[in-house]
Amino acid sequence: MNFANTPRFSNQGLRPGSQLLLCTLTSLALLVGDSQFGLMDRTRDALSVVLYPIQRAVNMPMAAAAHIGEFFITQTALKQENAALRSRELAQSARLARLTSLEQEVQQLKALNSLRTDSLRAGQLGEVLYTARDPFSYKIIIDKGLDAGLAAGLPVVDERGLVGQVTRVQPLTAEVTLIIDKNQMVPVVNQRTGQRSLLYGYGGGVEVRYLPAAADIQQGDLLVTSGIDGLYSEGIPVARVTRVDRPAGASFARVLCQSIAGVQSSRYMLVLPPRAAMPPRPAPAPQPAKPKKKKDTEDEG
Amino acid sequence: MSYDRPQELLKPVKRRFITLTFALALMMELLPLPVGSTRWLPDFVGLLILYWAINQPRRIGIGMGFLIGLVVDVSTNSLFGQHALAYSVTTYLVMLRQRQLVMFNLGQQALVVLTLMLANQLIMALARLALGSAFVGAGYFLPPLMGALLWPLLTKLLLLPYRHHTL
Repeated sequence: MNFANTPRFSNQGLRPGSQLLLCTLTSLALLVGDSQFGLMDRTRDALSVVLYPIQRAVNMPMAAAAHIGEFFITQTALKQENAALRSRELAQSARLARLTSLEQEVQQLKALNSLRTDSLRAGQLGEVLYTARDPFSYKIIIDKGLDAGLAAGLPVVDERGLVGQVTRVQPLTAEVTLIIDKNQMVPVVNQRTGQRSLLYGYGGGVEVRYLPAAADIQQGDLLVTSGIDGLYSEGIPVARVTRVDRPAGASFARVLCQSIAGVQSSRYMLVLPPRAAMPPRPAPAPQPAKPKKKKDTEDEG
Repeated sequence: MSYDRPQELLKPVKRRFITLTFALALMMELLPLPVGSTRWLPDFVGLLILYWAINQPRRIGIGMGFLIGLVVDVSTNSLFGQHALAYSVTTYLVMLRQRQLVMFNLGQQALVVLTLMLANQLIMALARLALGSAFVGAGYFLPPLMGALLWPLLTKLLLLPYRHHTL
């Protein structure tokens, strides 16, 4: 087994210890630079373009297998699906008729109130290229990027609800951070009560934090985006409340939720277009002058 | 122990072959596998680095471990330097005891590999925790076990092209 195991007769290069020191310091610098200051984004962009053809090539056998599988679908399955779709369409068309009339009504009301309306525009359909193998980050890569006019911050939905947000755009691909990622927050509103709150991802799931223990929220409530952040348009279903704990002595309720969309399972996603510009924030109130003398005495004491 | 095993004479390893194995392992990383499978699938690139560092220490050293780690960082979309840090530390540990490690039989090597792969995961977990990620659970330490179980098979496979087939 010990082939080509000849010892080194002359000392070439650095000693292992100094090599390790060098590599460790470089990687620590890279880690901090990447995570805290985002210094490596350019490099990542360039490398992602290089990797794109390889990703496509690796994806190809899987895609071909899926196509062949679709081709050999049985006729009964098709018929069943057709019937199911037809009945669903009937049910939906009735709802749609009601919705369009409601939409008109709402738009009139909004126009009366001179509010900005979010017209529903078509988004960009993206296919999930791969999910990052890194278990710490809940991110996926989709096959649309700068070439399709995507920009960081755009919301991403699937057919059921909100999936996440575009966080990094590369020339041909884009990175979507899922709502279950630890650093992801979504402003939501409880559809039943109209109470606004923030939905936090905690790495693998979502929960509502900082809701008073006495707040009116119960199992089964649907949380939809509130649309007041200027990013997500309002009314996209996000999560359903699965459990509410009100621990005695704690001032906040513990609200666990289940995301509506197939956050980790959907293959096709829609990237919604940016919203119309929000009205500018009112100018901040002038800060009251600080009592300077008191601070000086504190420093001395 | 390997003393009682007949030592084989093998053909010299080509640099091309080493590159090819790493290319294949990286393609495994990029495969669109079902979501659950990444929880137990071993880190093939990490295994290969250990294999070549043990068996070809003059080709794959600490510097190469670092560079390959950077490539893995990009392809797995993790933080820059995360895999590079882990791989350079484990290749250093291999280098410290490399003469002993090649003399071990496959079972003993698998145990060492298990420890080193666990060290890999531990370093990466600590780096990510220090930079503010949430802990992903004890399942994160399952892949090294699979890697160690696959070690004998991997060794046999990688030796195949270098046996003299004279029948």
